[in-house]
Amino acid sequence: MVDFTIKIGGEAGFGIMTTGLFFSKIASRLGYQILDYVEYPSLVRGGHNAYEIRVSDTEVIALKKEIDLLVCLNKETLEKHKDRLTPESLVIYDRDEFDFQDNFQKIAVPFKKILTDFNGPAVMKNTIALGASLAIFGGKIEILLDLIKAQFEKKGDQIVKFNQQFAIAGYDEVKKNYPSFIKNFLTERQERKEQLVITGNDAFSLGAVVADCRLYAAYPMTPSSSVLHTLALWQDKTGMVVRHAEDEISVINTAIGASFAGVRSAVGTSGGGFALMVESLSLVGITETSLVVFIAQRPGPATGMPTWTEQGDLLFAAFSGHGEFPKIVLAPGDQKEMIELTLKAFNLADIYQTPVIILSDMYLSEGHRSVERDWFEEIAAKYKINRGKISINSKLKSQNSKRQLKTKNFLRYKITEDGISEKILPGTLGYFYQANSYEHLEDGHTTEDLAERVKQVNKRNRKIGAYLSQDFQLPNFYGDKNAEVIFVSWGSTKGVVLEAQEQLRKKGIKTGFYHFNHLYPLNQKRVGPLFRVKRRYILVENNSWGQLGKILAMEVGVRIKEKILRYDGRPVAVEEIVNKI
Amino acid sequence: MNSLNQDFTGYSPTWCPGCGNWGIGSAIKQALVQLDFSPDQIVAVFGIGCSGNMNDFLNAYGFHALHGRAIPLAIGIKLANHKLPVIVIVGDGDCYGEGGNHLIHAARGNHDITVIVHNNRVYGLTTGQTSPTSAKGFKSKSTPLGLLEASINPLTLVLTQGATFVAQGYAGDVNHLTQIIKAAISHRGFSLVNIIQPCVSFNKINTYQYYQERIYNLDENYITDDLNKALIKASEINQEKFPLGIIYQKQSPTFTEDLIQLKEKTLIEKERFSNTDLLIKEFI
Repeated sequence: MVDFTIKIGGEAGFGIMTTGLFFSKIASRLGYQILDYVEYPSLVRGGHNAYEIRVSDTEVIALKKEIDLLVCLNKETLEKHKDRLTPESLVIYDRDEFDFQDNFQKIAVPFKKILTDFNGPAVMKNTIALGASLAIFGGKIEILLDLIKAQFEKKGDQIVKFNQQFAIAGYDEVKKNYPSFIKNFLTERQERKEQLVITGNDAFSLGAVVADCRLYAAYPMTPSSSVLHTLALWQDKTGMVVRHAEDEISVINTAIGASFAGVRSAVGTSGGGFALMVESLSLVGITETSLVVFIAQRPGPATGMPTWTEQGDLLFAAFSGHGEFPKIVLAPGDQKEMIELTLKAFNLADIYQTPVIILSDMYLSEGHRSVERDWFEEIAAKYKINRGKISINSKLKSQNSKRQLKTKNFLRYKITEDGISEKILPGTLGYFYQANSYEHLEDGHTTEDLAERVKQVNKRNRKIGAYLSQDFQLPNFYGDKNAEVIFVSWGSTKGVVLEAQEQLRKKGIKTGFYHFNHLYPLNQKRVGPLFRVKRRYILVENNSWGQLGKILAMEVGVRIKEKILRYDGRPVAVEEIVNKI
Repeated sequence: MNSLNQDFTGYSPTWCPGCGNWGIGSAIKQALVQLDFSPDQIVAVFGIGCSGNMNDFLNAYGFHALHGRAIPLAIGIKLANHKLPVIVIVGDGDCYGEGGNHLIHAARGNHDITVIVHNNRVYGLTTGQTSPTSAKGFKSKSTPLGLLEASINPLTLVLTQGATFVAQGYAGDVNHLTQIIKAAISHRGFSLVNIIQPCVSFNKINTYQYYQERIYNLDENYITDDLNKALIKASEINQEKFPLGIIYQKQSPTFTEDLIQLKEKTLIEKERFSNTDLLIKEFI
């Protein structure tokens, strides 16, 4: 069985991210599965960057404690990460830069000398390291040379060859001097399926395209920005309009306008940007506009720690907006769930004519995982757009139909049993109506009449009931129903809890696990009974308050006393959970 | 069949007797009739304020937005269906204060929307506080000792940010204002109509009489496509002199005209994209 972790560290601004992703793609192309995780400070140059990849021939769902190969592009890398090394761990480093006495397996690669020999810039250290790492794990150099070629092809053959020589030099160095250290981990797997190496943000982007989202607006904010970059890059192919507006308030209002006019629309941001959007989220609520809001969380409050991870905005998302209005909060646990829930979110937004918030976090948004291409293509082909009561086939002005004699006020906010009213698009001939930020009558006109107010509040509230009975999903359960220990978590902590369960199982300890995707509102009648049996329930969250625990207490009346909470900006680790039991 | 003024007439306005909003409301309706639109063919986005309350008095597809946020919402409507004429009906506090940032960026994007600003130089709906266009020294509920800031010049502001149509009208001259609004709606690209308007309840300084003495119609020979001359003209309001008419106009591609994905069809009319093969190559 193949299961190893490689970590590459060095100074920020020297291409660590590209190198790490290359390694992930190489492993993936050879038929292995990966999970990767990046650490970087909130600056462009200087500081420490690290890229960690776990590779296996089975599904990878979490990081592991031990690093099998640590690639040190500087001395700091060793100092920062040596507590995760074992005597069997390999360390690639340059003896000309520094040396060490610790009891690890030393692989000295003369980065400096190679750079001097080929007259290369410092950034090429990465490429040398990549070649050396590939050699250690028994991979063929050709696949790396192909990737380099693809990357630099546009710049000409000479640039391709120039880059390739550094990879070859690193590769040959290991082959020649350390043959006994070479492991046959990265041999080409015979029965391999084509895989995509995607981040949570990539998954959201793919989901949005498949869901026929036609307008995406955003203002750059880590860790959500790569959605903006990706969707903007695809515009000429997909036809989506991507607007980088002047601020997050403009962002959400652009999307509200586009959605009002009939196209599926979404916005993306992190907690701080969402805070700016919140007044307008309330506008979405009262005007019953469909909108998908993607939030990639990072540690707050305020600017917090921009490039690290946390699940600190669940309560904020659930209770965002002044006044009372329905909204739906979803949180995927991994890349596949991100695609599935994004597809679902666009349907829910249209069916219930309300905001749907998707909560991600830096760990999920920026880390890669392998997803089989077949799986994605099947789910994309199977997806059915459901626009609910939005009538998109209405006759628009552009169709040059004859003008109606008299236009009628359409009852946009008609009182209905499920609280959802029919919507026609502006421009539909023969009608008019207004979407109104003020409380309004069925026809959209402003009202302060007490009976009409109550009717509209009740109408909007009925949409919550409709969602809870038709589309709310209970948490997924993993493990043993009769186990004494039951973990409870949400979003991106899914993988680490599952991995902890597996390790505990090997020790003979059975556990169960409720993982929530549909976080708010909760169906009290259906969620309550899950916690009725007396068990040792343990909450696992990447925040300091145990926010899902608070929602469960408030909405369902369940109080979970035991908690594993991590809020130092790093993802929860498997051993933290295992050691607690 | 031609549309009539009454087609656009909704609820009876609740504006104060003598308020400049009456004249502006009337000019907007007349402009729409004269341009031969019917209520189902246009979208009006309203801000919050006395002017925004026109949402109930004007029959049309409408969106009564948040205070300050009408402009980006109108941009979104235009992006989704650029064949729909979109007008934005806002006040000075709304558009030059709370939403000032949006105004600048809408101008530089040449978004094809018509921004009609009811500029009464005071907050009316909240009963009389100072506004961004109040004169320095203006005493109000929020500035009892007199306003310390200089007033904003909305005309030079948008002119310097690339606006392609800038005009000024007066609520007391409905016919002239109607012509200006017609030209603004017909203009392809961003248009701003700054409308000088007395507030009979809360602004006792900038009255009808005050403006009658300080307004004048631009000369027939005034050339509208010279930015430097326009800036000089627009600067006159700093001295409380108010030229009326089209101060600047230039033809330039609009935001949606420059979007390659909207070359053939509007966003709402386009076929659904389904060739994900084109996208996933980069992930392998």
